[in-house]
Amino acid sequence: MNSFLNRRHFLKHSGKGLGGIALTSLLARDGLLAVDKPIRPNIESTKPFSARNPHFSPAAKNVVVIFCSGACSHLDTFDYKPELVKRHGQPMPGGEKLKTFQGEQGNLIKSPWAFKPRGQTGKMVSDLVPQLGELADEICFIHSLTGKTNTHGPGENFMSTGYTLDGFPSMGAWVTWALGSENEELPAYVAIPDPRGTPQSSVNNWGPGFLPAAFQGTDFNATKPLRNLIRPPGVSAKTDIATRRFLQRLNEQHLEKFPGDTELAARISSYELAARMQLSVPEVSDLSTENSATMKMYGADDVSNPIKSSFAKNCILARRLLEKGVRFVQLFNGAYQTGGEGVSNWDGHKVLQEQYSKHGPVLDQPAAALIRDLKQRGLLDDTLVVWCTEFGRMPTFQKGASGRDHNPDGFTAWLAGAGVKRGYSYGSTDSFGWKAEQNISSVYDLHATILHLLGLNHERLTFYHNGFERRLTDVHGNVIHDVLS
Amino acid sequence: MISFWHSGLAIFFVAGVFSAPSLCQASDSKDHWAFGPVKRPLIIGDLKPIDDLVEKKLRANGLIHSQVADRLTLVRRLYLVMHGLPPTPEQVEEFINDSAPDAFTRLVEKVLASQRYGERWASHWLDLVRFGETTGFETNRERPNAWHYRDWVIDSLNFDKPYDQFIREQLAGDALGEGIGTGFLVAGPNDIVKGQDPKLGKMQRMNELDDMINATGTTFLGLTTGCARCHDHKFDPISQKDYYSLQAIFAGVSHGDRPLELSETIKREIEQSKAEIARLKVSLSKFIPKSLEALREPVSSRYNVENFQAQEAKIVRFNIERTNSSQPCIDELEIFSGKDNIALASLGAIATSSGDYVHPFHKLEHINDGLYGNSKSWIAAGATGWVQIEFPKVKLIDRIEWARDREGQFNDRLAVKYRIEVALDSSKWIQLASSSDRKSYQKNKTGKELYEFLKFPQNQAKQGQKMLLRLEEIEKRLVALQNQNKVYAGSFTQPEATYLLYRGDPDAKRDQVSPDAISAFTSLELTSSEPEQHRRLALADWIASPDNPLTARVLVNRLWQFHFGDGIVGTPSDFGVNGMSPTHPQLLDWLAVEFMENDWSIKHIHRLILNSKTWQQSSRPKLDAMKLDATSRLLWRYPTRRLAAESIRDSVVMVSGLLNLKSGGPGFNGFQVQMENVRHFFPKKSYGFPDWRRMIYMTKVRQEQESVFGVFDCPDASQSVPKRSRSTTPLQALNLLNSTFLMQQADLFSDRLKKDVGSNPVDQVNRAFSLCFNRFPTPAEVQNASLFIESEGLSQFARALLNTNEFVFIP
Repeated sequence: MNSFLNRRHFLKHSGKGLGGIALTSLLARDGLLAVDKPIRPNIESTKPFSARNPHFSPAAKNVVVIFCSGACSHLDTFDYKPELVKRHGQPMPGGEKLKTFQGEQGNLIKSPWAFKPRGQTGKMVSDLVPQLGELADEICFIHSLTGKTNTHGPGENFMSTGYTLDGFPSMGAWVTWALGSENEELPAYVAIPDPRGTPQSSVNNWGPGFLPAAFQGTDFNATKPLRNLIRPPGVSAKTDIATRRFLQRLNEQHLEKFPGDTELAARISSYELAARMQLSVPEVSDLSTENSATMKMYGADDVSNPIKSSFAKNCILARRLLEKGVRFVQLFNGAYQTGGEGVSNWDGHKVLQEQYSKHGPVLDQPAAALIRDLKQRGLLDDTLVVWCTEFGRMPTFQKGASGRDHNPDGFTAWLAGAGVKRGYSYGSTDSFGWKAEQNISSVYDLHATILHLLGLNHERLTFYHNGFERRLTDVHGNVIHDVLS
Repeated sequence: MISFWHSGLAIFFVAGVFSAPSLCQASDSKDHWAFGPVKRPLIIGDLKPIDDLVEKKLRANGLIHSQVADRLTLVRRLYLVMHGLPPTPEQVEEFINDSAPDAFTRLVEKVLASQRYGERWASHWLDLVRFGETTGFETNRERPNAWHYRDWVIDSLNFDKPYDQFIREQLAGDALGEGIGTGFLVAGPNDIVKGQDPKLGKMQRMNELDDMINATGTTFLGLTTGCARCHDHKFDPISQKDYYSLQAIFAGVSHGDRPLELSETIKREIEQSKAEIARLKVSLSKFIPKSLEALREPVSSRYNVENFQAQEAKIVRFNIERTNSSQPCIDELEIFSGKDNIALASLGAIATSSGDYVHPFHKLEHINDGLYGNSKSWIAAGATGWVQIEFPKVKLIDRIEWARDREGQFNDRLAVKYRIEVALDSSKWIQLASSSDRKSYQKNKTGKELYEFLKFPQNQAKQGQKMLLRLEEIEKRLVALQNQNKVYAGSFTQPEATYLLYRGDPDAKRDQVSPDAISAFTSLELTSSEPEQHRRLALADWIASPDNPLTARVLVNRLWQFHFGDGIVGTPSDFGVNGMSPTHPQLLDWLAVEFMENDWSIKHIHRLILNSKTWQQSSRPKLDAMKLDATSRLLWRYPTRRLAAESIRDSVVMVSGLLNLKSGGPGFNGFQVQMENVRHFFPKKSYGFPDWRRMIYMTKVRQEQESVFGVFDCPDASQSVPKRSRSTTPLQALNLLNSTFLMQQADLFSDRLKKDVGSNPVDQVNRAFSLCFNRFPTPAEVQNASLFIESEGLSQFARALLNTNEFVFIP
């Protein structure tokens, strides 16, 4: 940074005598003119979470991703298809010999939930998610997403990391690697698992891949606190601090023998962060300071539905983290540990109506309250809300079943908040909602757009690994400029 | 093949990381470097090829080796890398005082000869073969007999079993007198929830076989075969047909226990136990009320004997007339002629029945396969029925033993009313034994209720109760003895035909395929009716052949990686076209040739590496070199790195003085387990001596992370892990600072220090540094630490030391 400033200073004040060629070469060496050159974040190994400048002026500072695990059906939530209602019970043209993930298809089936116009825009949203529907004027829908896989694990990986395989950095890891955090007392990146457990690809959704491990998501939620966070019983606060100070001194003396060794330095700073987290995490997780109106707004007081009230608490936790300046929050809705196929996630293959009737209310009020709450606190001006799922579902029911199979060829995600159009819909699927048809977009495009909103150029945010300059967007992706406000 | 590397096509990056991106590699996979024969490269000088070849590459990049590390560093590094434990102060002193020029070489020999070596390096192998001791998936049930394979790997490494033999025994050990080795085939997860949906069942079976194919391909060959399940491999020369040919190799392998031959000692103990049971029952009979005296004991689900006068028989039929519930089940019907069970199918006896219940666990063949327990049992089709054994010729028989479940888990489906008959031909049956002279079976009643001790004088009653306790004990012991030869090493049957499946769909069969290896490399020339065992043996022979271009290269690369943190090939389980290219191709081939020419000795490669300057150089960073090669990939220094989870735990317990060096046997549990149908695992609340064994002996539970050390990048055994990630996180810090486990260890460590050197803080500091860091503290360190001990106590000092970078990093 300093050398850059000095050089600019030098150019500014003595530039007149320099020829254009010399100037260009100097700038090129710094990677300033070459638009495709990587921009490396300047990370102090001992302060990996300090805030860093984006590539350009950002629209959003923080992100919360609401991830519906199990593939939440666009056709039963946000993508209204009158033709599907009309042709209910008929075979799908072009679908006669179709075999999808679980096999053959039956007939076209309309959603069991009615769609109604919502808000000023009259956006059609289903009765499965009425409260989110009420927010339609705040939301920017992308209805033409396409994916690369029809399997959950790889699909979740793809949505969270841009690759279907395990082991690539998650979006949150990329973002916090690039930008650090506005709050060094808390993890820069928090993954909040669903109260029912972890999603299908579990920790890979918030893994660091080949990025430094410091940028992986730290996972805890409102009911399952971080283990071993609290100082051990029988050790006074004074002694605990003295011991950690003593430890730090030992580590610093040791580091003097290995100047520049980043792993050693990183381990020292991990202890510092751990100490800060001992104070900050319990504080941020303590929902007792929330008033009853807030608890009610989120549905956190709903004793009749403990899963919903737990998810609502996770949503409140997400808001509190964002409020404190945590850069990236991933909020999961749906899990696999406590029930596969559709039982505690959105994978409605066989009995969609029965299963979604349970999942809809868990998601709807708490997630809608989160957006409202962010808005009323003025946080939505800086915060980007992303709602996504690994892929969509078929407009047909599976042969011999009452549910929809996987469909990565056309599905919905939506954005709200900082930097995006309000009450807008981008792209569309065909008349049944099977395949993306207009303004076809990819998960890569979605990623490129999210990075763009954070002031990051997805083509220049790269990390060299195994012979490649790796990106979140691989070698693909275009910012969807249409959705930007 | 290596010529590619000499042709100057290799691309170097300014950043100082060196490899050709795969996009630039030869487009035809046949020319791929790793698929060409391994040849000893011509090396000028040839005295110390490792150092020469590493140095050549260093010089080409403007770098040089670092100087040799000091002796304290060397001895500490050697023990940490090879044993996963720091050396004791005594071991350090011995080496430091050994001024002979070959002192280090001799130390290497000593370290390689230790049991501790296998216990550390087996963990690398177990990661690779996705070894776990639970089934995984949602039930995650225990596999109580899987640990044998872990011990077998440790022993194989310690005995320096030639690697080609090590391979063969893992694929076909049953044919080679080393049955435990095939634990490799079934080390992975399997879904034991069998639904009614036939397609699901087929898919589960395909997934089991896929796991075996993948494990074999990645472990031994460094090839990703899995993608060929649905279509030809996009990069490597593996066709979909090859995939199904490989599937035909493993098509007869099933998950499950297999009994190994019992040792003579065990056989004798079983006989003695049975005799003691009989004696005890006779002695106890006087406590049975007169009204029942004449009757035999009621049937038991675990073990029943029918004794009778020796009788000639060709056929023995077991007729079941009533059960305590549902259709009758018998896990094994044993018919004895003297000491030998002559009912075994392997001796030519043939089983038939009135009809069989259809289920993967329950088959007619299990009635006389020598396997005990519910999952290897026979169930009749109806509520009553019969099963019979026909011998190849007439035999003299004198005893029959049978049970519902000798493993003692099930007591339903028990035959409570039965007749056993014999015949010389099926026209004339003679009844041998029946339930008519037994006391009637009462649910939930053990033998205990039979005896009425209270009517007898106190001393006799006491004696009787004692005998009853002994009887119960010995019956339990018998169950354990009869089952102890079981090993989770898979079972084998002759498979049906294998077909290529269109897009991997089990319902879309295409052409039949014969068992074979990958056609681009070889043909095993097997027929589609090839005996099951031959298939695996043939594949093993091809993999373990010196002509296989991959096997030796892949293994020496793995060894290199575990020494230096990175392999010569950075993608240790992908030597295919999409993998990384070697940084030092000649070195890789030289090591591979050395390996094979020295009887595939892993310890030989260790010796070569450990005695090199490259391994022995200092790890101190040099700023100019860091700029050129920040990750030390070219080895201008020895790359430091954090210890693996197991090594941290073991080191902690070792310095606290309580490392339990019990080797082998069933593992200890790292969790509190909630025993429901779906197992739930919770962190332990307290720890004792059994928990302080080396972590390799902790029962490996899939999916669940051990609560303290799991976050130190411990794999969960769902997938093969050729190289662990090495992360640094605040969660690790919290676990090591605050967990119950560590706090207890800190207390124990402090007790040890007091015991070793008394109460003087200076002595305590000296001793602690020598135990934890293998060095003396500087005067400033002594002063600092003593002051700390005086104000905060010795346990806190111990807690701090166990958390230091110096303690958990390989120097």
